[in-house]
Amino acid sequence: MAYRKDDGNKEPVCLFSEEHVRLIKDQYKDWFDKSLREEDRQTEGKYFTHSGIPVKLAYTPADIENVSYIEDIGFPGHAPYLRGVYPNMYRGRLFTVRQLAGLGAPEDCNERVCYLLDHGATGVNILFDMPTIRGYNSDDPEAEGNVGACGAAVDSVWDMDAFFKDIDLGAVSTSIVTHLPSTSLVIPGMYFAVAEKRGTPLSKVAGTCQNDFIMETCVGSGYEILPPSVSFRMQCDTVEWICKNVPRFNPISFNGYNLREAGTDAIAEVAIGISNAIATAEELIKRGMKFDDFAPRMSFFWDLHNDFFEEIAKCRASRKVWYKVAKERFGAQNPKSMLMRFHVQTAGVTLPATEPLNNIARSAIQGLAAVLGGCQSLHIDSFDEAYSAPTEEAALVSLRTQQIIQTETGVCNTVDPLAGSYYVEYLTDQMVQRIFDYISKIEGLGGLVQAVESGWLHREIVNYNNKYQEKIENGQMKIVGVNFMKGDKAKAAPIQVFEYPETYSRQKAKLERLRKERNNRNVEEALSILRQKCHTNENLYPYCLDAVRNMATLGEIEELFREEFGLWAFPLL
Amino acid sequence: MDRKIKVVMAKLGLDIHWRGVYLVSQFMKEAGMDVVYLGNKFPTEIVEAAIEEDADVVGLSSLSGNHLALGPIVVDMLREKGLDRVKVFMGGVMPPDHAKRLEKEYGVQKVFLPDTPMQEIIDGINAAVNNTH
Repeated sequence: MAYRKDDGNKEPVCLFSEEHVRLIKDQYKDWFDKSLREEDRQTEGKYFTHSGIPVKLAYTPADIENVSYIEDIGFPGHAPYLRGVYPNMYRGRLFTVRQLAGLGAPEDCNERVCYLLDHGATGVNILFDMPTIRGYNSDDPEAEGNVGACGAAVDSVWDMDAFFKDIDLGAVSTSIVTHLPSTSLVIPGMYFAVAEKRGTPLSKVAGTCQNDFIMETCVGSGYEILPPSVSFRMQCDTVEWICKNVPRFNPISFNGYNLREAGTDAIAEVAIGISNAIATAEELIKRGMKFDDFAPRMSFFWDLHNDFFEEIAKCRASRKVWYKVAKERFGAQNPKSMLMRFHVQTAGVTLPATEPLNNIARSAIQGLAAVLGGCQSLHIDSFDEAYSAPTEEAALVSLRTQQIIQTETGVCNTVDPLAGSYYVEYLTDQMVQRIFDYISKIEGLGGLVQAVESGWLHREIVNYNNKYQEKIENGQMKIVGVNFMKGDKAKAAPIQVFEYPETYSRQKAKLERLRKERNNRNVEEALSILRQKCHTNENLYPYCLDAVRNMATLGEIEELFREEFGLWAFPLL
Repeated sequence: MDRKIKVVMAKLGLDIHWRGVYLVSQFMKEAGMDVVYLGNKFPTEIVEAAIEEDADVVGLSSLSGNHLALGPIVVDMLREKGLDRVKVFMGGVMPPDHAKRLEKEYGVQKVFLPDTPMQEIIDGINAAVNNTH
């Protein structure tokens, strides 16, 4: 029986014996001094990972001399879950192939979703246009020019019904990419209302919504933004209500992805995501819930960037950090509370417009890193990322890339195949330490909500972006075809773009009909109750759901929030 | 006259992607321009700000598909106010033929697409403004 630190005071058994490590250190020095040329030795200290971890020319057991297999790495599906959340990993269940779909009107999206499901996608991932993301109806003057662009327009429960026409809501798992907590109070409710209407019990409805206040307050700037504390309250309302009422639905996906895209390194990405999970857990415990009541339903969302090994190490490290937070800080009892399950999207920010077909290679490599890192579901970005939401052809290439990784490369046959690599274990250990340090830094600022209110996080993002751009401008960071090995720029890119100019008029007509056909008195009543509840400590979810069932529109509910809670100034202006 | 070039920068409408426009604004400041970043604004407010700030240049960022709907409105409103001398530049994610149309049909001075080096943006603005001075 393996022993653990908490079983007693025994020293952990390290991977390599002390004597062996001493021998390796001696010989390493010898090798370094004698086998390398002076100019090779000079390169030492000059290489770093993307996040700034020093990279040596070669790694040996001496670099992981303090690592114990049983304590620090463990078996797949066992604490500290570094190697993966399930013992059998992809032999048991392959990662979910979850490609984004969303463009135009819900009716157009339904076609794309069915197309992807027909071609072997195993999950649905729906995204919205800017008015929907930010909580405006399609016929709002503020929505002009954005209706159906870069995502789907969803105004009411009718649209959700059309989005999922002929799709059994009890049989698919759907990721509903509501970025903001304020819309997460409403849009998943539309999905639940459709399920109820079709006779699918909420106990069978599976999926995830994003629901992250960092999205509202830091990642996206906005025309009108709710204050961080309000956004955070709404985030917690959704987690609380869904955990109690829709047991197979993940009410939050701590979104490192968009934060990373806006501008952070891998360490900050994970540390901020976990800091948000800590803040959420503390709030829900204050509300009387137990950690084990909600933690199993928390999910995470990472961005897999270009630095191949660092990204794999990040995935492994993030599971271990969450395990330790859940166990040591919150006293989790249920093993499911300690498992970090995460979705991955490859890094859109790394995909240039120049020579777009090269992006197929970039995304495939990033997707491979996600699988080697043990993700639960994956979206691979498409080669036309820098032009528009993906065309059907581009979306199919991404889907096929996933299937090629799953079936042709053999990487899914064994769990965590890079475990034991001196370099990967060293990086993983470094990531764990640095993520914890960053979490402590945020706590020192009074926690994540305050770090956002004060503008600290915005400044972190700006500083990172300045450095990143400088590295591109001065050529230190090479991008093939863009600032390195430039090709013939005059050659036109083979890109077509989807356009749905008719979406606006279709949505507008539908809204007009909705306002005529629904019982407006019921809508007003539901909205007036919701308005009143805004100023109590009550959970807003059931009142939003009631408004949605009565066919209140997204824009009506969000406008109410903007009126009742007031707006917050983005702290960079 | 040795007046700094005055630039009013804005994120168009509901678009949320602020990384690029903020970064470009900072590079412009470093290049000696006088830059006001408005945040998310609609055409009327952008044009009002351009008048108030006596801008030489208006820079619009769009990465969410509203470039054709809102960009030309800004150009037209400036012209209606008699501010033909204010040059409108745009940047962001859009199909290349949309960028061409904005330049050729809608009076946008220049659209900077992804992968454009910062210096090219600075040079483009300097050249356009100095031509009219």
